[in-house]
Amino acid sequence: MLSRFFARVGLLVLPVIALLTAGCSEADLKVRQSTFDHKGPVARLQYEVFMDSVYLVTVLFAVVGGLLVYAVIRFRARPGDENKPAIVEDGHGNPLTEILLIVASIGALVFLAIPTLKGIWYTDDVPEELVPAARLSAWYPRAEGGVENYAEAVKDQVLEVDVVGKQWWFRFEYPQLGLTNEGRRSVPNELVIPRGVPVRINLRSEDVIHSFWIPKVAGKVDLMPGRRNHMWIQADEAGHYYGQCAEFCGDSHAYMLFRVEVVEPAEFTRWVSAQKKDAAEPVAGSRAAEGKALFAAKTCAMCHNVGGHFGAGAFGPDLTHVASRKSLAGAWLDNRDPAAQQAAVAAAGGNTEASAPVDHAVQKANLIKWIGSSGVLHGDGEATRDVKPGNRMHYYKMFNVAGLNETRTQLTAAELDALAEYLLTLK
Amino acid sequence: MSHDHHHAPVASRYDLAPERSDIGLIRPDRFTGLRDWLTTVDHKKIGVLYGAFAMFFFLVGGVEALAIRTQLARPENDFVTARMYNQLFTMHGTTMIFLGVMPLSAAFFNFLVPLQIGARDVAFPRLNAFSLWTFVFGAFILNASWLFEFAHLAGWFKSFDWYNALVYRDFAPANGWFSYAPLSGTFGQADAALRAPRFTGVGTDFWIIGIQILGIASLAASFNFICTILNMRAKGMTMMRLPAFTWMTLVTSFLIILAFPAITVALIQLMFDRQFGANFFNPTAGGQPILWQHLFWIFGHPEVYILVLPAMGIVSEVLPTFAGKSLYGYPIVVFSGAVIGFLGFAVWSHHMFTTGLGPVPTAAFSLLTMAIAVPTGVKIFNWLGTIWGGRVRFTPPMVLSLGFIWMFMCGGFSGIMHAAAPADAQQQDSYFVIAHFHYVLLGGVLLGLMSGLYFWFPKIFGRMPKASVAYWASGLVILGFNLAFGPMHYLGLAGQPRRTHTYHAGFGWETWNFVATIGAFILGIGVFIAFANLVWTVFRGEKCASDPWDGRTLEWSLPSPVPEYNFARSPVIVCRDAFFVHKHGPHRIAYEQDGGEAGVHMPSQSWMPLLASCGFLLAGLGMPMSAMGVPHVGWVVIAGLGVLFIGIWLWALEGPGGYMLKTPVSPVSSAPAPAEASSAR
Amino acid sequence: MSDSAAHAHEAPTSTGIDHKKLIMWLFLASDCMFFGTLISTHLLYRKLYPTGFTDAEGHQRFVQRLFDIELTSFSTFILLMSSFLMALAVSAMHKGGQLKSFRRNVLGVIIFGLIFLGCQVYEFTHFYHQGLTIQNSVFGSTFYVLTGTHGTHVAIGVLWLVLLYFYSFTGRLGGHMGALDVEVAGLYWHFVDIVWIIIFTAVYLVEYLGPDGIWGNGLPPVPGLTP
Repeated sequence: MLSRFFARVGLLVLPVIALLTAGCSEADLKVRQSTFDHKGPVARLQYEVFMDSVYLVTVLFAVVGGLLVYAVIRFRARPGDENKPAIVEDGHGNPLTEILLIVASIGALVFLAIPTLKGIWYTDDVPEELVPAARLSAWYPRAEGGVENYAEAVKDQVLEVDVVGKQWWFRFEYPQLGLTNEGRRSVPNELVIPRGVPVRINLRSEDVIHSFWIPKVAGKVDLMPGRRNHMWIQADEAGHYYGQCAEFCGDSHAYMLFRVEVVEPAEFTRWVSAQKKDAAEPVAGSRAAEGKALFAAKTCAMCHNVGGHFGAGAFGPDLTHVASRKSLAGAWLDNRDPAAQQAAVAAAGGNTEASAPVDHAVQKANLIKWIGSSGVLHGDGEATRDVKPGNRMHYYKMFNVAGLNETRTQLTAAELDALAEYLLTLK
Repeated sequence: MSHDHHHAPVASRYDLAPERSDIGLIRPDRFTGLRDWLTTVDHKKIGVLYGAFAMFFFLVGGVEALAIRTQLARPENDFVTARMYNQLFTMHGTTMIFLGVMPLSAAFFNFLVPLQIGARDVAFPRLNAFSLWTFVFGAFILNASWLFEFAHLAGWFKSFDWYNALVYRDFAPANGWFSYAPLSGTFGQADAALRAPRFTGVGTDFWIIGIQILGIASLAASFNFICTILNMRAKGMTMMRLPAFTWMTLVTSFLIILAFPAITVALIQLMFDRQFGANFFNPTAGGQPILWQHLFWIFGHPEVYILVLPAMGIVSEVLPTFAGKSLYGYPIVVFSGAVIGFLGFAVWSHHMFTTGLGPVPTAAFSLLTMAIAVPTGVKIFNWLGTIWGGRVRFTPPMVLSLGFIWMFMCGGFSGIMHAAAPADAQQQDSYFVIAHFHYVLLGGVLLGLMSGLYFWFPKIFGRMPKASVAYWASGLVILGFNLAFGPMHYLGLAGQPRRTHTYHAGFGWETWNFVATIGAFILGIGVFIAFANLVWTVFRGEKCASDPWDGRTLEWSLPSPVPEYNFARSPVIVCRDAFFVHKHGPHRIAYEQDGGEAGVHMPSQSWMPLLASCGFLLAGLGMPMSAMGVPHVGWVVIAGLGVLFIGIWLWALEGPGGYMLKTPVSPVSSAPAPAEASSAR
Repeated sequence: MSDSAAHAHEAPTSTGIDHKKLIMWLFLASDCMFFGTLISTHLLYRKLYPTGFTDAEGHQRFVQRLFDIELTSFSTFILLMSSFLMALAVSAMHKGGQLKSFRRNVLGVIIFGLIFLGCQVYEFTHFYHQGLTIQNSVFGSTFYVLTGTHGTHVAIGVLWLVLLYFYSFTGRLGGHMGALDVEVAGLYWHFVDIVWIIIFTAVYLVEYLGPDGIWGNGLPPVPGLTP
């Protein structure tokens, strides 16, 4: 009866296991957000501690699991047992065995506890030994062409990035380098950091709890409203990394993604200078100029800052350089051509950090889709069918006041096109 | 006043004369059918009702899980909307924990504890009925949020003013079972009506009040069980002779009474934030959302052990029975259960390693979490020791219990991985965690509970479930389960976060999500077959002997189904595993000279527990509805509180009542008559 | 409340403690955690925000200046005395159901309990008019919810004792079970009293300790302070 049962289950299970193992390959360990494919010291340490636990557990599993299987087979009931006298005993167990097993378990855990404790302090803040080389003065020229890059007072500090979480996007600020939201020049959703340099990350939230996670570079730390958390990261290979909010934060939690562009230090300093520049004026009479007018007329400028054009917006993502970014809408919409991206990864030998450049046709389509979906009426269930349900892309949604639904901005296809053209000029 | 003051013992309660209680109502002792079930105070019937409701909610939670898996089967799927998905996983977690596992455990507590300790009922039979109905109504309130949500989606509310004035139109909770503030709370200054802006609508209010009411039910039941176990043991049933399951019930009950107050307070604070503009968790007014997390997990981690310990108790009964050998290291199994309970209060912050606790607390909680693996390991070693040297018979309960050990062990191992805080920084809130706790709670607890169902079903109904069907169901459950949750270890480490309703193609998650969905459906079919087999058995199953497994504990000495009075004569215990030793060993169970023609005292049935619980139903439905702005519904809340007060007051006034019931003189099927038993000693 | 399968004439319990008394102890254990959580919340926030609160006019207010320690000490004393009377009432019942003595003492407990509640109602209205509301500060939230929850416990206790007082005329309080009912109510009452002593210390008295307190160097000057 039972052997037949096991035979049947075995028949089911074996092909399944075979299929599953056949499906595995090394590429599976190098996917975009893989924690196996660590690219920095923090993620590497976390991976090593994890692997320590895997070794420990594998041994325990083999021993305990093996004994269990052995015991069940060895001590199975056999024909004729019913004629033997029943086993009657007190069931006190053997104190020596118990104590030995307890001591062995504690010993096994100490094996894991030591790297754990070391790791907790290592990942907490930039380690002392890395600080000298990480100081801004060590790799970032303080002034270039007569322009001061950062204040004298911060020259001995490690580069700091403020990460601010909002429903459902991240805002990155570089207070030492003058890129802040208050100064109307923050960087939404695409963090740029220098390669091989430790960066201190300060985390805070402006609404609910979020969590900052770049699996290949570092494990997550939460953005707690009312508190300031910190972590440090360092990426050792240049490339385009993927991250995601890891704490449930409401309707569009799944759409709260971000990217990390790791560039050479010299390239980083050039990028910072470029960020500080204002947007160029669109050619008079062009569709873009028309879009710029719409940007004001349709209340976009109330929330969005465009350096040199509109300076009132501090609530929404800064759009001064929106066209230079590889993603849109909290990195949910990708501005690269999918085929080109695949080719780039393949050319880099499967390295998912390789990236194709922005494809402007894709980018424009994304802009139209994003702005359009958020501004067109969909009936009562509309809030759930947006590109990002519940997003604050419109005035009425910002304040969640009933009745304001009727006052929402409506855009025609032509207006959408003009807006997109304008945004595409913001390189 | 009660029957027993006036009447000679009767052979059946249907022979009782109609009797008025002190408040002038006729005691509902002579009912059959529905009214009997509604007014019952018999711990066995209450246990069966708990079990039936729990299995129903298991299926509800299972359907929610399958909807979740269907949505995730492929990238960018639109089977459900983002919000509906969030509601599904919130209700799935809440349902499985509070309406599935906890009541199913309570079903076992109810049915077994008095039988295992040689008692005729629990200490407070009417309080027991009150716990049951309060649970049922709490569960209804929680799920009523779905009814409102569906009515909203169907557009049935459109003509109502209150609906059109609603700012937040979500009716089913969408905060996750942990409901972290401020997503579940408020944000910003309260207006004149004391309402502060918030992120979620009335769904959260349904959740708050539903959990609060379920907490009351759990607390009342736990007071009752501790009282029963400590106070109503048969003669000679010392604490160290208690069956392991009863011990785990005791530890679980203590965990409940000490852990639930934390969530009760947290829910009160959250309710004050939402309804009266208080600032406990409102970050714009100085509140600290992190406090919610601490309070929630001070409850939430013991809660994990509240879920696991009963299943461990069941396995500690099933293994010795089918290994034909007493539980190895009984004292240390009991002790490790208590240590788990104790340490369970000292590890809550391992749910919060990523919240920026700072290195010292992180290290402390990391080490404590590793420490709790030791008593857990001790249990597994002793189960192994129980099998070692035994004669293992394979039956459906045994196969499920072995499955429990195996799956629970796997879940425990991934738990050790989380205990290493740096590794947890990558795993926290990823699918790895989902895999971990489903191995513990589904592979562990559900298999344990199913093992218990198949083990005690012949005792409860006197009918034996079909073994072949049970094997097929167990095979499907174990296969489907591993297929669904095994790949999630990989998905988590490949960077897929939890609680996301969709994901992009190109992140390498497509294949394994699809496999997991297939596994989930196989699992669903397996659980359904297992449950259907049980339901079929209740009505059509083959009748079986009172002791089909060669049981060890007192319940197997009773006829199946167990008579209302449990023990015709109270047993006197001289050793652990008394009934097994009675059958095979040197000691016989002796019986006291009670019962017989003189009768045993039975508590009267009562409407009052149900009435009092109805108060919770009215108040609990009224509060979220008044938060929605439905007019006049405040009166329903007041009426509910009134009904609650009147119910409790009448309950106190009518008194426990009771009547004397004759019992057969020699009731024990396989045990010798008391006279013979005492002479044998 | 009076719901026990084991009647007085039945076998004694395994532990020798009556079911009702045991369940009350268990409830109180649970209630300890309940108040423990509330008091911890209050203390955590006090530590986080030691400077008091801001009232409706935007003035910085100090908690020490708000409290009327004499009144609260008086109500604390009253509650302590009520516990003394409760002990006398329980003792009266144990000495073979001296109902007259029981009634006298329990009436005292009820009156003292009502005086305590009266003081609390006065205190709440007074604080409210001084500008402390549940909405305007974390201190207001934790203070009102903590002391209000305690007040609710006192009110339930008073209601319970009133019912027992009336039952004493109906013969329901006769015998062992009657004494037990009173003793269980007494346990509850003493617990509520003890909790108040902790609250009085943790919420009121600590405000007077340290350099900011009345025994310290005085309060730091704050612009716009209304004394």
